[in-house]
Amino acid sequence: MTLIFPESVESASLAAKYGYDEWLVSRFLEYVPRIEDFLSKMERPPTKYIRVNTLKTTREELEGRLRSKGFQLESTVMPEVLAVNIAPLAIGATTEYLLGHYYIQDLSSCLAVDALGVSEGHTVLDIAAAPGGKTTFIAQKMNNTGAIIALERNERRARSMSFNIMRCGVYNTSIFRMDGLQAHKFEMKFDRVLLDAPCSCEGVIAKDITRKTSHTPQDVDYCSRMQDKLIEVAARCVKPSGILLYSTCSFAPEENEMVVDRLLQKFKNNITVEPISHRRSSRGLTKFGDSRFDRQLNNAIRLYPHIDDTTGFFIARLRVD
Amino acid sequence: MIFRTPNREERTRINRAFNRWGAFEFFKHKPLIIQELGPKKKAVCLVTSGTEKIAQMMDPYSSGLAIGELKKQFVPSIAGADLFARYREMRKNNNNDNKYYITVSEKAENLVLYGRDIMGESIVAASDTLDENELVIVLNTACEAIAVGRTRFTGRSLFQKGKVTVSTIADAGCYLRAED
Repeated sequence: MTLIFPESVESASLAAKYGYDEWLVSRFLEYVPRIEDFLSKMERPPTKYIRVNTLKTTREELEGRLRSKGFQLESTVMPEVLAVNIAPLAIGATTEYLLGHYYIQDLSSCLAVDALGVSEGHTVLDIAAAPGGKTTFIAQKMNNTGAIIALERNERRARSMSFNIMRCGVYNTSIFRMDGLQAHKFEMKFDRVLLDAPCSCEGVIAKDITRKTSHTPQDVDYCSRMQDKLIEVAARCVKPSGILLYSTCSFAPEENEMVVDRLLQKFKNNITVEPISHRRSSRGLTKFGDSRFDRQLNNAIRLYPHIDDTTGFFIARLRVD
Repeated sequence: MIFRTPNREERTRINRAFNRWGAFEFFKHKPLIIQELGPKKKAVCLVTSGTEKIAQMMDPYSSGLAIGELKKQFVPSIAGADLFARYREMRKNNNNDNKYYITVSEKAENLVLYGRDIMGESIVAASDTLDENELVIVLNTACEAIAVGRTRFTGRSLFQKGKVTVSTIADAGCYLRAED
């Protein structure tokens, strides 16, 4: 059940000031560092990022071409990812975009793929893969070798993913129209499994401010139950000593640390949470309200808009033995 | 979807097409599979050996990169045209120019990317030996494949002003338009 905290003067006043439902702010007060900076950052449009598709071009080449068109770009913590500070035309309408030289993708998504740690020749399962941003980045990191299985149940989204795969020149990926809960049917074990779980999307409130009030505790409950099922299926698809990368774009501990904590309990000593190197990020929570989580959750990371300049994100790298 | 290895006749036709586009060497050892899209509709997909096994053993929605369609003739997709053009560009120093590529001006590039046919005055380079009704890969001035087209005229007549001289069959903007 989604934890609800008693209303305080602070939570009521911040909720009124920034237009949130109070229950959401009282929860943020429990774990978000520098809450006022956070809420204020969520009022501004998020930074736009592009990921260079090194299957088709180099960062230098792309930077040169976009700069000559008047784009102002800035380096990020990832060499393949650039922040777009000024875009004289729509970033999704340039020739370079249409030719697949870059993908419009938040830095947080790219950090999740980076933490997955793929190598050439790996077999990778990407559960809930559409529209294919992470899938195409994984393919890029594998230099179009090995094999990726990408799952997407919805026809329209699967089609959209296949366009992105074509645009990016990816040829090591097969798309299956399948629910992630059916992934065990492959009877295959993978070197790497990515579960970027469907979530309540609290982390993208800056992109969709209606979520300040449309989002409910029941949404969090629903997503959390689904995530419990998906993460267990995902863990069973990993080869011994392989990696399961679990991520969401939600801040809610019920969709993040609690899901991983329950998995750790279920699999006892067979799963460990490995540290992720990203210098600025906040660590995963080991407590929330009266709940205490496995100390290993401290190895997971939380990305906050006001600290990391990304959408809100949670990433846990799990080694499955 | 049915995915299978191309039969001998299909492989010969595909190889002939690769040769036409100057990309035979590039694809010589690369695994390809056929995706049956309908009674007479077959896509040719570039895959890795791992992906090839998955496509044939299981039943994916799509697998690998569809580089073209095998009709009477092999018609490259934009993804296929992109690979052919890249390979051509890599081998340029080997004096391996190929007549089935035409180049359009920077001004025309955006129009082509919106699916427009190509006017004679937009063409900045084309082989004099091109015939009417030939499949061509349309390049921008950076030698990148932006479309696949079919000639409406022969040789120098392709440059005639005020007339559409190449019809656009597919263009790199089609993915985006299909999403709208």
